[in-house]
Amino acid sequence: MICVRDLHKSHGGQEVLRGIDLDVREGEVAAIIGPSGGGKSTFLRCLNGLEPFHRGQVTIGDAVLGPGIDERRDRRLLQQVRRQVGFVFQQFNLFPHLSVLENCIEAPMRVDGRSEGEATELAMSLLKRVGLDGFAKASPKNLSGGQQQRVAIARALCMRPACILLDEPTSALDPVMADEVLRVIADLADGKQTMIVVTHAMGLARRVHGRVHLFAEGRSIEQGSPEELFGNPQHPITRNFLEALHKESKS
Amino acid sequence: MNRRSHPTATRADQARIAVRVCVAILSLAFATSVAAQDRADAVEDSSPLRWGADQEGGAPFLFGDPADITRMTGFEVDLAAELQREIGRPVEFRQAQWDLLPSMLLAGKIDLVMNGYERTPDRLAVMDSSLPYYVYALQLLVNDQGPIDSWERLKQGQADGSPWRLGVLTGSAAEDYLRDFQRQGGAITYASYDGVTDAMREVETGKLDATLQDTPVASFYSRDFPRLRPVGDPVAPGHYVIYVRRGEETLLRAINRAIVSLHRDGTLRRICERYGIWTDEQGSLAAIIDQAEFFGVVASNASAERVDQAAGQAASQPAGPPTESSAGIPDAAKLLGYAQLLGGAALLTISLAVVSFPLAVAIGVLVAVGRLYGTPWLRRPLGWYVEFLRGTPLMLQLYFIFYLLPEVGINIPAIPTAILGLAINYSAYESEIYRAGLQAVPRGQWEAALSLGMSRAQTLRRIVLPQAFKVVIPPMVNDFIALFKDTSVCSVVTIVELTKRFSILSRSNVADLVILMGFTALLYLAMSYPMSVLARRIERRLEGEARP
Repeated sequence: MICVRDLHKSHGGQEVLRGIDLDVREGEVAAIIGPSGGGKSTFLRCLNGLEPFHRGQVTIGDAVLGPGIDERRDRRLLQQVRRQVGFVFQQFNLFPHLSVLENCIEAPMRVDGRSEGEATELAMSLLKRVGLDGFAKASPKNLSGGQQQRVAIARALCMRPACILLDEPTSALDPVMADEVLRVIADLADGKQTMIVVTHAMGLARRVHGRVHLFAEGRSIEQGSPEELFGNPQHPITRNFLEALHKESKS
Repeated sequence: MNRRSHPTATRADQARIAVRVCVAILSLAFATSVAAQDRADAVEDSSPLRWGADQEGGAPFLFGDPADITRMTGFEVDLAAELQREIGRPVEFRQAQWDLLPSMLLAGKIDLVMNGYERTPDRLAVMDSSLPYYVYALQLLVNDQGPIDSWERLKQGQADGSPWRLGVLTGSAAEDYLRDFQRQGGAITYASYDGVTDAMREVETGKLDATLQDTPVASFYSRDFPRLRPVGDPVAPGHYVIYVRRGEETLLRAINRAIVSLHRDGTLRRICERYGIWTDEQGSLAAIIDQAEFFGVVASNASAERVDQAAGQAASQPAGPPTESSAGIPDAAKLLGYAQLLGGAALLTISLAVVSFPLAVAIGVLVAVGRLYGTPWLRRPLGWYVEFLRGTPLMLQLYFIFYLLPEVGINIPAIPTAILGLAINYSAYESEIYRAGLQAVPRGQWEAALSLGMSRAQTLRRIVLPQAFKVVIPPMVNDFIALFKDTSVCSVVTIVELTKRFSILSRSNVADLVILMGFTALLYLAMSYPMSVLARRIERRLEGEARP
C-alpha cells in the first residue's frame, strides 16, 4: 500500500530525515513514536507532498513521489496522491467559514465531482460514525477541540481515502477529549482502515494491529509489533524514550 | 481672463513614449469603451460642435440663470446659440476646468474653446484663433472703505511704507500685468486665486486691498460685490477669440463668417447689452471685421494677424454697473433649483463610487493573488503596478487617461475615464489590503484543503479568499468612503460631480454661499454616514465572531 525507500530531507542545511524505509500494508496501522524533533511529522508531511524531500521515493498505491516535488509543477501527481491519502492535523484545520457539514462535502463535490445530495449523504453517515451527526449545521468555532478533531477525521474519510495520515491527532487535546478521538481512531483500525499515526499516546500505539516505529534523529531506529517494541526494546534510545514516557505517565 | 501654456510638441513627444507603455494594458481592458478619434473635419459636416467652457465663476460668460438656476445662461451661451444658427451645426456645451480647455481641444474632446479666452501669442502657437468677438481690458477694483484712489497711489504703497495686498486669478493676463507692475517698482504683493470671484470676496472682506479683473467680469459682479469700487481707467486691452484645433480651416472659416454676420446685423451688440457688458470700444471691432471681410473672411492665423494690425487695438471706458441687485435671501424657486442641481450632482458622485469600487476590488484581488501566488515574472510587474499607482496622484492618472491617451488614438469619454481612473487607482490600495488579508489566513488552511485534493485555485477561491474577505471588510469600507470623496477629483476630466457643482454654484451665486455650502455638506454626510454606520456594524459583527 505505502512503500517508502531511503527518504532524505534537509532543511536549512540540517538533515531532518536521514534515509527512512517504511512499509504499510493494506488494512494495517503504523504508529510512529519518538522524541520531539525526531522527524516524525516531517516524514508524514512528505508522504502526501506537503513537504518536498531531496532523495528517495514514496510509493502510494500506483502513484510515485520523487525528490523535489513542486506544488505547481506536479499538481496532477499530487492530486492523485492526495485523493488516496487523507491527512488529519494536530490543529484540526477545519474551515472556519463553513459549517461542519460543508467542511465535509466541499472536497467530495469540488474534487470528486459528487452531487450535493450524494456528498451530504456520505458526510452524514461518516459524521454519525464519529458521533457528530447532530452537529452538521454547527460552526466549527462552536465545537470543542475533540469534536473538531472528530469532524476533521470525518472530513478526511469523506474522500474515501485508501490511507489516512494522522499527525499527532490528540496532542492539542486534554485527556478526556483525546480519549474521544482515540476511540474513533481505534474504531477505524478495527474497520481495517489503513493508517499511519504519529502519536505520543502510547495507548493508541499499543492498540494498533500493525507495527510501531520509533523515530529519532531523522532515522527509524527500531520497529516491531507493539508487544516487541514496548516489551523488549533493543535500541538504547528506545529504552530511554519508553522509560521517560513511563515516568511521565506516573508523575 | 487667464492665460495658460500648453503641452508643446516636444512635451507631447515625451508623453507619447510614456503613454505607449500603458496603452496596451488599458486598450485590452477597455477596448469596448474606446472610441477611435477622428480629427478630420468633414466639409459638409452637420455633426455637433462640442464647445468647451467653464461654468465655474463663469459669469457673465456662462452661468446658472438666476431665474432658473438649472438653466444655463450668459453672454457666450447666447453667442453659441447664434453660432449654431449661423453655422448650421448644433453646438453642444462641454464643461471643463478653465485652464484645461486647450488640453481638451488638443485631445479632441471638444471642437472649440470660447470662454473669455484672450488672443495671446503662446496660445496662437498651438491653436488657431477666430476673429475677436469682444474687446476687454483690465479694471482695478478696491474696497470702497480703502484709501487707494489711483494707480499712482497703488504704486507708492501704504502710508506706513508696506506694500498693498492684491489678489488676482491664477495664470491670468491680470496676473501677468501685476507681475510687471511689481517689477517696475509698484509697491504691491499679490496672491493668486483659482476662482474669478475669490479675490473679489477677499477685497470686500478687507483681507486684500485690491484686485485686477477683466472688464466684463468686473462690471457683471459689481452687483454681487457692492463694496467694490473701480479705480482708474481699464488698462491693457485685448480681444476674446474662439480657438479651434490647428488646420481646421473649414470650421474656422464658418466661425469667422458667423462672427462677421453677427457683428454686422447687430446681434453681437444686442447680446452684450443683454448682459450689461457692451462698451464703446466694442466699436473698434468694426474696423477688424471690415478688414476681415476685405481679406475674404480670414481663416488662418497669419492673415488674422494682419487684420489685427490693420484695425489697431483700442479700449477705453468699461460699461457702468448694470441691472438691479439680486442679493438677499433666495426665493423658493431658486432653492429648488439648487436642490435639483446639487442632488443631481450627488447622484453622479454616488454612481461613480458605486460603479468604480467593485471594479477596484476585482482588479485588486487579482493583483494581490498574482503578487502572492504568481510566478516571479508576474509578481514583479504587479509590484510595480501597485507602487506606481500608489505613488502618483489620482488627478495625474485621470489627466493621463483623458488628455494624453487621445494622442495615441485612445479617446475615452469622461465618465468611463473617471470610472477607469478611480478603479485603477484604488485597485492598488485594495490589492495591498487583500494581500494582508490573504496572508492573515493560516497556512494550515491551505494545507488542509490541498490535502483533500483541492487544487491551488480551488483552495484560493473556496477556502482562502472567503476567509481573507472577512478580515478586509473594515479597511475596504474605509476605502470606499475615501473613494467616494475622491470622486471630486474627477472634475479634472470635466465631470461635474457634487463638489464641482457646489464650486460652480457658489462662484456665480456669491450671496448664497452659506446655503450652498450647508446643502453640499449635508448631501455628503447623508451619503457617507450610512456607510460609516455599516462599517461599524460589520466590525462589531466580526468582533463578535472572533469571541464566541
